[in-house]
Amino acid sequence: MNTPDFSSQFDEAIDAGLSWLSDHGEVLFDAANAVLSGVYKGVLWCLALPPYYVLALIIALIGWRAIGARFAVIAGLALVFCALIGLWPETVSTLALVLTATLLALVVAIPLGVVAGLAPAFDRVVDPCLDLVQTMPPYIYLLPAIALLGYGPATALLATFIVALPPALRLTSLGIRMTPRHFIELGEASGVTGLQMFFKIRLPFAMPSIMAGVNQSLMMAFGMVVIAGIVGSGGLGESIYGAVRTLDIAKSINAAIAIVILTMILDRLAQSAARSRMGESQ
Amino acid sequence: MTTAKIDTNEVLVDCQNVWKIFGKSAPAAMNAVVQQGLTKSQILQDYSCVVGVSDVSLQVRRGEIFCIMGLSGSGKSTLIRLLNKLITPSSGKVLVKGKDLSSLNPAQLREVRARHIGMVFQSVALLPNRTVLENTAFGLEVQGVGKAERYQVAERALAKVGLSEWTQRYPSELSGGMQQRVGLARAITADPEVILMDEPFSALDPLIRRQLQDEFRQLTKELGKSAVFITHDLDEAIRIGDRIAIMKDGAIIQVGTAEDIVLNPADDYVAEFVAGISRLHLVKAHSVMTPVEPFKAANPTCDISRLIKTTPGADINELIGLTMKSERDALAVIDNGNVVGIITPRDLLRGVQGIPNEFAAAGAATVLEPSA
Repeated sequence: MNTPDFSSQFDEAIDAGLSWLSDHGEVLFDAANAVLSGVYKGVLWCLALPPYYVLALIIALIGWRAIGARFAVIAGLALVFCALIGLWPETVSTLALVLTATLLALVVAIPLGVVAGLAPAFDRVVDPCLDLVQTMPPYIYLLPAIALLGYGPATALLATFIVALPPALRLTSLGIRMTPRHFIELGEASGVTGLQMFFKIRLPFAMPSIMAGVNQSLMMAFGMVVIAGIVGSGGLGESIYGAVRTLDIAKSINAAIAIVILTMILDRLAQSAARSRMGESQ
Repeated sequence: MTTAKIDTNEVLVDCQNVWKIFGKSAPAAMNAVVQQGLTKSQILQDYSCVVGVSDVSLQVRRGEIFCIMGLSGSGKSTLIRLLNKLITPSSGKVLVKGKDLSSLNPAQLREVRARHIGMVFQSVALLPNRTVLENTAFGLEVQGVGKAERYQVAERALAKVGLSEWTQRYPSELSGGMQQRVGLARAITADPEVILMDEPFSALDPLIRRQLQDEFRQLTKELGKSAVFITHDLDEAIRIGDRIAIMKDGAIIQVGTAEDIVLNPADDYVAEFVAGISRLHLVKAHSVMTPVEPFKAANPTCDISRLIKTTPGADINELIGLTMKSERDALAVIDNGNVVGIITPRDLLRGVQGIPNEFAAAGAATVLEPSA
């Protein structure tokens, strides 16, 4: 067998497959593109509306309520620093990307996680799929996404969405399944309906696990959004990618600092939300 | 006390030849039991199924505290879960207030569980994200009772168990004994006729445990509730139960009052159990007294009318006290103004040993009524 011959035939076959998909699924992909970029633009518009010091102040206030004064001051100053180094638009669009992708992932993952937690049969189908998604390097998801959705934020969002989905789904399902046996008995012995069992007993016990899932999805999304800079996601990821290509080390380090600041603020906020839910149920 | 008004003969829970077999081929194993009468170990060998409860029949009457005593693995926890159909029996019927649980649809079954049969768990199972008050009102909440009303009822129940000060606390702030009191308050808030108690006090330390046992018995009697009380501790069963059922290997081997079981154990297993139990407060005058005629024959000179008088329900401890005060060596047992028997020191010693009087043995065995 002639290897180069086979390899070019294989390439052609893949090419043909993808163009068949994008021809025949055009409506679907256009719709996906419209939803993804629509939500993203909405979120971005909201975040970009106030000047940088107002948004920094709002985030500082949220941090003050959720964590404490020291965190609030540090977070506020750090965000102002992002603006001073000239990366505010990029920081905001990265924030918008992360929030949009995480939000969409949670909207899908939490209900599916609940179903998987309640129906073991469904869980047995979903589990290997999630294994597959999580085993592959996140980079891989950019390729089909760019083939089907083109260059731009929608592709970044789709890949980020896929990567952010599994943790929230897994931990929601786990939380729903892990209701202690004697509380199920308590519910049954008290004569609860199926819905009451879910909302009054299963869900409160699952809450810490679900919140941990939300936090993990957020962090996965962050990692992916930065990688997605190479498909034109915009934001800090693209800044880094561009700076690295032109060997502009200073600019790439600036962008990296902004990413670290944003990640730490979001992680702390999400963790404190998870912890306050847990504290409630202890 | 309201106990006088209620009809103590009404059967609230009626368990008829109930079996529970666990395992994949449970229905086949159940068939084999019915048709070939296989034993527990044969079932395990041939069908790899475990017999949890084997051919149990029992009746719990209104106002009665019915204890089921057995060691771990005897099937008592399975049995109590059959009574509110948390576990579905493999064979046999469970009737609650005359209604066969297996004939009810899910909504009717919920109704029975919500209104007629309450349950208290060994693990207490207080929802950690709710306050004591919210936990106590849980039963009414799922029935759709409004907030103000259910909290009012729950507060009354908490007052009954002495926890009025703790309504706004979270379960984690309470000691084990207090948590179990909340469990009890939660069960009585829904005002069921029967309360199922699944080893509620087993995890508590001995002093708190005795205190809760007494409180539980008093409260149950005061409210006129029936209770099925599971325990692995015979002392506890004797302290609380009007009647006691002893369970072994999924079957009930004896049912009776504490006195009855101590004086007339059904087999060696029960006898071994009761061997260490003090008879002083258990054995009553009527079980050990000598009938009047044989006493007169043996002591022709004794004037019965001048003996210190006592009642058939007086326990050995009380009788010893009276005998010490008496100048003569005998007490007269009076029932409805008639002398029904004589207690001699010999009778007392026999009582301490737990051997019924040869004359009274037949009488004691028939005393199965709850002595509320």
